[in-house]
Amino acid sequence: MATRAFLAVISSSPNRCFITPRMIKNQASAFSSSSSSSALQFQRHSRKPHRISRSFSSETNSSVLQPPDISSLAKTARISLTPAEIEEYEPKIRQVIDWFGQLQQVDVNSVEPAIRADMEGGNLREDAPETFENRDSIRASIPSFDEAYLKVPKVLNKE
Amino acid sequence: MCSFSIRKSPNSSFIFPKFAPLLVRHCLTLPSLVPILKPPRFRVVASLSGTSWVSQASKEKYGGWALIEDEAPLPHWKSKKKWRNVVITGVGSSLSSRPIVSAASSTIDAATVSPPQSQILSTRRSLLSGETTASEIAKSYLSRIRLTEPQLKCFLHISENVLKDAQEIDARIARGEELGPLAGVFIGVKDNICTEGMPSTAASRILEHYRPPFDATAVKKIKELGGIVVGKTNMDEFGMGSTTEASAFQVTANPWDLTRVPGGSSGGSAAAVAARQCMVSLGSDTGGSVRQPASFCGVVGLKPTYGRVSRFGLMAYASSLDVIGCFGSTVADAGMLLHAISGYDRFDSTSSKQDVPEFQSQFLSVDSFESKPLKGVKVGLIRETLEEGVDCGVRSATQEAASHLEALGCLVTEVSLPSFSLGLPAYYVIASSESSSNLSRYDGVRYGNQVMAEELNKLYECSRGEGFGGEVKMRILMGTYALSAGYYDAYYKRAQQVRTIIRKDFKAALDQNDILISPAAPSAAYKIGEKKDDPLAMYAGDIMTVNVNLAGLPAIVLPCGLVEGGPSGLPVGLQIIGAAFDEEKLLKVSHIFEQTLKGSSFVPPLLPNVA
Repeated sequence: MATRAFLAVISSSPNRCFITPRMIKNQASAFSSSSSSSALQFQRHSRKPHRISRSFSSETNSSVLQPPDISSLAKTARISLTPAEIEEYEPKIRQVIDWFGQLQQVDVNSVEPAIRADMEGGNLREDAPETFENRDSIRASIPSFDEAYLKVPKVLNKE
Repeated sequence: MCSFSIRKSPNSSFIFPKFAPLLVRHCLTLPSLVPILKPPRFRVVASLSGTSWVSQASKEKYGGWALIEDEAPLPHWKSKKKWRNVVITGVGSSLSSRPIVSAASSTIDAATVSPPQSQILSTRRSLLSGETTASEIAKSYLSRIRLTEPQLKCFLHISENVLKDAQEIDARIARGEELGPLAGVFIGVKDNICTEGMPSTAASRILEHYRPPFDATAVKKIKELGGIVVGKTNMDEFGMGSTTEASAFQVTANPWDLTRVPGGSSGGSAAAVAARQCMVSLGSDTGGSVRQPASFCGVVGLKPTYGRVSRFGLMAYASSLDVIGCFGSTVADAGMLLHAISGYDRFDSTSSKQDVPEFQSQFLSVDSFESKPLKGVKVGLIRETLEEGVDCGVRSATQEAASHLEALGCLVTEVSLPSFSLGLPAYYVIASSESSSNLSRYDGVRYGNQVMAEELNKLYECSRGEGFGGEVKMRILMGTYALSAGYYDAYYKRAQQVRTIIRKDFKAALDQNDILISPAAPSAAYKIGEKKDDPLAMYAGDIMTVNVNLAGLPAIVLPCGLVEGGPSGLPVGLQIIGAAFDEEKLLKVSHIFEQTLKGSSFVPPLLPNVA
């Protein structure tokens, strides 16, 4: 029963990773570089880590990936967290991500990933613009609006 | 070793409160009232304006229908007497001289409690026959809401147009125009479903005053068919939670026990239907968010096949799992609401073009049932759902339900779904990942609360940091992690592959059986605050429901028994799962099950101390 599975996961030691120093360095560089770059560079670097992670999954079990770094995740997700929040969320998130690790045990050789349940092809509609009548209501929801523009503060490049 | 006991009344095999028959005939169903002769044991919690036996003070305080609360066992003279269901016409704030019309009569006897009636159909009958008007029904519901809301807190917003919409229906009836199938039906809508002009916040501060410029397709269809939206119901923020405690605004209480949760994330919708604050309601189901609160609140919760109902206007949580679902006090009501909102929508490319069959033909009267109405139906009881970790009260209620199905002619066998336990981690990986992407649109720029800053990234960070609640932030962070470069294969892709495995297992089981059954949740409703600090304990409660979302199948939960807890016991629900797009069979089986369930009527005890 799944509940027994959780209890097993929770009670076992939190870090069942088999991480060698080389793996840590590779993952760290891949992770930090991808999280601090802009979106474009994110894609450029993504090929390398994929190759690395594939070699991991064959030789190790449970989570060998670096544990989540809450502050950098928050930056990626564009959410500001107070230090108190970071302290509160870190153990909980770590616990859940460790629990996700049990998926590594499943034999998924030659199983197609399912994007969603149904198999119907996309019922796409014609790519033609239509006018929406209730534009005033849309405008009313905009927090900072000036004539025809949405106002936002200046955009600085990331340091 | 179970430490509780099942109280059995003579002719029923389920726990049944002694004085519940009284509640069945009165109060929480449509305009039905306490007889004029006010027995001393009854305390009138709301007065009916226009009747002379109610005190002036209470007449002024409340308006509308009288609710009664019975705190004592029935005196002997009542059990012999026939009660009358009375329908009062012409309710107004001044003294009314219209006569009281007796609508029906019945004896109070646990064994002969009549099966639950469809509120949609009985409303239609009373409106067309002139017995009552939509405005009167509207006033009764509004006053019931006014009375019960302080304790229950189901609604985040009540519509200002309820009376106006009701008057329009009355005008239509007066003109002899044709009425839509949902005419005069009062519907609650979960707050993550867009309703034009009414605040739709998904129970989050980031959308605190947001009023959408459009109606969701489901809401549009309801309005076209004559339905009246009563208000927006409380929920867990953005659908993330299983107790409705994660709402940014208020915690909804379970009408069966005010110290317990109604379930989540559609807790407000379930509790509102249970407390008869509206007839039916809409919810959304991503991992069990309609079925689990239905089980906790003792109402019917129906989750359609993925793609059956358009998701246009539903604020996305996990796009590959979300569906809009229906709550009702009977299977027939939930089914009729589902039929009204189903169908292909060009604004939702994942909505299915499959035909929507006429569900109403399944809702036959119990009198027309044969002796074994479900003869030949093959039912698979999922073995993994009755193992350790499930409350013994829930297990025995499920086994009793299986026996009931056998008595109706079904062939019940045990089936095993070996991938069952994998569903929960796979679901949470997929849901967190997709939600981290879906919630990136809430940036404070085009709508919602904005926290102004000097720089754009700071504006995003502060608006989202202050606008989102704790659970939402945690899930976004988990999803961001799972989707990060280098982790996608290990988490999200793997979870997708597990989804394929689970789908195949379910398909195999449904090839051998017509339907599958399981409990809806491992326990009855928990106390408020019990699971708040332990995320994994909270997630564990979804074990029965998430696999169905991963497989995209339809499922219905209907109350099948009571376990100990609260003033009158706590309801538990039976989950029935069908093959994709086979809601017809699901509704047929559950309707017959419900109508033949002896001795139980799932009406929660009224709120004490309301007066």
